[in-house]
Amino acid sequence: MDFKESGFMYLVGGFVVFFIVCQSLFFLIKAWRQGRKLGLSAKTLKDTVSSSVLFTLAPALAILATVITLAGALGLVVPWIRLTVIGNISYEVTAAQSTLEAFGIPGGLAVEIKDKEVFTAAVWVMTVGSVFPLVLLPLFFKKIHNKIGQALSSKGGWSDVMSAAAFIGLISAFLAKALAGAGDKNIIGDGAGVLSLLTLISSIVFMLAFEFVCKRYKLKWLEPFAMPLSMLLAMGLAAVAWQVLPENFVTVEWRG
Amino acid sequence: MKMRVKKEHESYYDRVHLWGKISSVSALVMMLAVPLAICAYLDVWPKASGVFNGLLKIIPLFWTVAIIEVITYAPLLGAGGTYLSFVTGNISNLKLPCGLNALKNAGVKSNTPEGEVISTIAIAVSAITTTVVIAVGVVLFSPLLPLITAEDSFFAPALKQILPALFGALAGGYFAKYFKLYYLPVFIGVLVLVFAPELPVGTLIPVTVLISLLAAHLMYKKGLISVESDSDEGK
Repeated sequence: MDFKESGFMYLVGGFVVFFIVCQSLFFLIKAWRQGRKLGLSAKTLKDTVSSSVLFTLAPALAILATVITLAGALGLVVPWIRLTVIGNISYEVTAAQSTLEAFGIPGGLAVEIKDKEVFTAAVWVMTVGSVFPLVLLPLFFKKIHNKIGQALSSKGGWSDVMSAAAFIGLISAFLAKALAGAGDKNIIGDGAGVLSLLTLISSIVFMLAFEFVCKRYKLKWLEPFAMPLSMLLAMGLAAVAWQVLPENFVTVEWRG
Repeated sequence: MKMRVKKEHESYYDRVHLWGKISSVSALVMMLAVPLAICAYLDVWPKASGVFNGLLKIIPLFWTVAIIEVITYAPLLGAGGTYLSFVTGNISNLKLPCGLNALKNAGVKSNTPEGEVISTIAIAVSAITTTVVIAVGVVLFSPLLPLITAEDSFFAPALKQILPALFGALAGGYFAKYFKLYYLPVFIGVLVLVFAPELPVGTLIPVTVLISLLAAHLMYKKGLISVESDSDEGK
C-alpha cells in the first residue's frame, strides 16, 4: 500500500477533522446561547445556519478539487489535512514546491513524491510555514480587538461607514482581479476575461434581482438564500456559456 | 437593564478570548503533532537542512502576510470568528464572505454584540460544512471526484469562476446602499493589476482595503456619505 494513503494516515486525518468539528461546535453553541441572551430570535439564528451551509457548499467543493489536484504528488491525506487546518491552495503549493526545490527534485508537484524523506520534509514545511497566525493570535489579538472596539464605539456614524468601507475594500480586490488579473498561463479560463466578466456581472444582476423580488413580494424566507443562490446560478451560467458560446470567444482572457 | 446586558457581553468577550487562546494553542500543538506522528510512524526524519532551506524561501512571505491578515481581517471577523477562521483557513475566499452574508441577512453590524454572535455562528457552520464536505469527498467519493473536477467535465469552467461568482453576489448585496464607496478601490485595484497582473489577490486586499478606508473617511468628512443612509447596514 502507498505509504501516503495508509490506514495510519487516514487515522491522523480523522483526528484533525474531529478536532476542527469539536472546536467549531463549541464556539457555535456558546455563540448561539449568547445570541439568545441578547434577544436574537431562534429563527434569525437558524436562518444564519442554513444560509451559511448553502453559501459554503460550492467553495467547499472547490477546496475539495484542490485536494484532488495536490493528491497526485502528495497523496490524498496530507492535502486533506492541510486544507482542513489553516491551509489554502497558494500556501500549500508554494510550500511543497519550495521543499522539492530544496531537495533538488526535478518536476516539482507534477510528479508523485515517492521518497519518504522528501514527503515528510514537505509536510514539515507546509505545517511550520502556516502556523504563525496561531502564535500571533494568543499573544496580541485581545489587545488589537479591544483597541478596535474602543475606536469604533466612540465614533458612532463614522464607524458604520468605516466598517462598510473595509468590507468593500475586500470585495473590490476580487472585483479587480476578475476584471484585470492574470491567471495561470497553462490553464484556460482562470484569468480575467469573457468568462470571469460574464460570471461577475451575472452574479451581481442575480443578486440585485433577488433583492428586488424579496422586497417587492415580501419574501422574507428567500432573503438568506439570495446570495448563495446568486453565486450558484452565476456558476451554472458560466458552465452553460462555456458549452454554447464559440470557443474562440468564451476562452478570451485579456491578461493571460 | 442595558447596562447589565453590556456588562454581560463584555464578560462574554473575555470568555471568547480565553477560549480562543486555548483553542489556538491546542490547534498549534495538534498541527505540529501531525508531521511528528507521520515521521514517527514512517520512522523517517528528514534532514534539518532540507526543511530549513524549504522554509527559508516561504517564511519571509508567509509570516509577513500572516501579520497583515490578522490586522486586516480581525476587525471584520469579530473575536470568535477570528479565532475560528485562523485555525480553519480559507479566510478571504470563504469564511469572511460567509460572515458578511450572515451579517447582512440578520441585519446586524460587525463589531456589535449581535454582529459578534452572528459572525461566529456563520464561520463555525462554514468551518464544519467545509470539513465535512472535504472529509466525505476524500473518504467516499475520491474515485468519482476526478469526473467532476477533470479539465473536460461540464463543471470545470464553473469551478474556475467561484471567486467572481461569490464576490459578485456579495458586491450586489452592498451595491444599493454603498455604490459610491466602490469607485476608488475597484479603480485602484484594476490600476495595480494593469502593471502587475499576476499579483496575488491576498497582496492586493490590504491595498484596496486601505484605499477604501481612506476614501470613505474623506467622503464622510466632506458629507458625501450621509450617516442616516448608512447607519442601518444590512437591514
